[in-house]
Amino acid sequence: MTTPVLDIRDLSVSYHTDRGLLRALRHVNIQIQPGRIIGIVGESGCGKSTLIAAIIRLLAPNAQIDGGSVLFRRNDLLGLDPEDMRALRGDEISLVFQDPMTSLNPVMTIGRQMTNIQYRENRSKAQMLARATSLLERVGIADPAEQLKRYPHHLSGGMRQRVAIAMALMTEPALLIADEPTTALDATLEVQIIHRLQQLQRDFGCAILFISHHLGVIAELCDEVVVMYAGEVVESGTTRDVFLKARHPYTRKLLECDPARIEQATRNLPVIAGKLPDLVDIREGCVFRSRCDSSIDRCARQRPALDGGDHCAACHVAGQ
Amino acid sequence: MSELLSVRDLRVRYRVDGGMTTMLDRNRRSYVDVVHGVSLNVGRGETLAVVGESGSGKTTLAMALCGLAPVLDGEVCFDGAVLTRGKDRYLQPDRRRIALMFQDAVGSLSPRMTVRKLLGEPFRIHSGLSDDPDRSALELMSMVGLTTDFADRYPHQLSGGQARRVCLARALAQKPDLLIADEPTAGLDVSIQGEVLNLLSDLQQELGLGIMIITHNLNIVRHVAEQMAIMYLGRFLEQGRSDRIIQRPRHPYTAALLAANPSTNPDAVPERIELTGEVPSLLQRPTGCEFRTRCPRAQADCRVSFPARESLNGKQAWNCFHAL
Repeated sequence: MTTPVLDIRDLSVSYHTDRGLLRALRHVNIQIQPGRIIGIVGESGCGKSTLIAAIIRLLAPNAQIDGGSVLFRRNDLLGLDPEDMRALRGDEISLVFQDPMTSLNPVMTIGRQMTNIQYRENRSKAQMLARATSLLERVGIADPAEQLKRYPHHLSGGMRQRVAIAMALMTEPALLIADEPTTALDATLEVQIIHRLQQLQRDFGCAILFISHHLGVIAELCDEVVVMYAGEVVESGTTRDVFLKARHPYTRKLLECDPARIEQATRNLPVIAGKLPDLVDIREGCVFRSRCDSSIDRCARQRPALDGGDHCAACHVAGQ
Repeated sequence: MSELLSVRDLRVRYRVDGGMTTMLDRNRRSYVDVVHGVSLNVGRGETLAVVGESGSGKTTLAMALCGLAPVLDGEVCFDGAVLTRGKDRYLQPDRRRIALMFQDAVGSLSPRMTVRKLLGEPFRIHSGLSDDPDRSALELMSMVGLTTDFADRYPHQLSGGQARRVCLARALAQKPDLLIADEPTAGLDVSIQGEVLNLLSDLQQELGLGIMIITHNLNIVRHVAEQMAIMYLGRFLEQGRSDRIIQRPRHPYTAALLAANPSTNPDAVPERIELTGEVPSLLQRPTGCEFRTRCPRAQADCRVSFPARESLNGKQAWNCFHAL
């Protein structure tokens, strides 16, 4: 077994709120092997953003880590001092955000931004520009030298996002975290980005943690999938296993809700009845039980643990 | 079906005050045509979905129809009355009868008003809609599936789905004939997306609303809209009955969009239509057909002129010289 690039063990994070402690992540375990693309699926409020923030240690001031560890190549990121963490961020671990318009600086040319972020390297200005040009080329941007002189607002949405990806890959990170990078694009540009990411992953050999609530994108891009619900991992496994043989009732319902899967046109789209549990007041037992059709008595008493194996689910009734 | 809204060759032009570069460069145009000759019809009880990527002009089209963006020319008729009044003027529709749900639900609600006040507001503005605004507000809440617990909450205390419901309730308060919903499900989870769309369908049946949905999610179109239009750089490249277009797209862009839609079956081997090149800027609109720079079927004639509209029994129409 190789050492995972990222090994999240039993991570729990809460936020201090007026109503009390909001337990945003509870006992989360995720492993990312080198060179793999892992997708995280889950609805709003499932803890995706908190998870990213915890990995790169940019949690909000009212957050606290209740326990667990985030091992990046065997180093616990949670124990690093801020200086070391800063050195790692944007170098070994880099990020692509949802909206490239707000993650790029609007008053600086692309070229200036792409040379600025090479401050760690001992390169001449010309070398930095050459590096920037070659990266833009690799993300499939035509006429890269010319684009370096332009400002973000000159570029289309798809180009901006590829510039953001080029910038994230500049330092050849071991881990690239992409937070809903295709949400603002149309389907043709979305697949373009997906294919580009797959290509770049092969070239650079980095692991990718890809967050999305678009199930189709995850199915197409990722090797493995982690399904999160209300701050817990409820199912994880290879993309084929999870999408074709979903074990957790939540995953199954989520897949049923996808309008792309419904062949017949209908005016009555399936929904998941009920609502998310209140994370300030978490009861004993399974977090999904109030919305689950197959819950049994045990579900109210005991929180199901993620069972072992390659395709695991946290459910008392999930069959093998 | 009687036409509720009918639009002919609508154009919206924004001026670009480009500062020094525009002044110095005579070749640079100082305007962009965001909506470039769009025609559409929405009947009572009917839904039209306008599909296109960000920047294709969908939202500007909606804004123009509500009188929030100037109309350069074209004709807009609403329920038999002509709304357009000359060049580059804002439409002045009867705002009670055309309701708009903005894309950013939370952002379109005043952060300093409770849900109760937000829902009472339309009744204060349009007098005569209700004798008892408070009671009507509560009725609206139950109509969109919000319990009375929400009445005293502020927008920041609502989830995305709940905020959308409030926006929908506000839009319905004015008893509109036409509802324009700008990305009503953007940013919503699949489980809640279904709820919002089902609610729209139910209310449409109950109230006979005409609905124009703006979206970039192709998966929902077939379930919610009988008619659809594919927008690219301000033009409708293809429009007509959704089932027909989805089954047999004629325009290469439509075909590429439909083929690009990622499937949730990891074993699916998608037959993709690879598009190359970048989406052109509206400031440098390509000559002829705007899609030719990315089109796999483009030939020399595509750069000369924009293809004329072709149509099939009035049920599907497209603009392409080399249609599929």
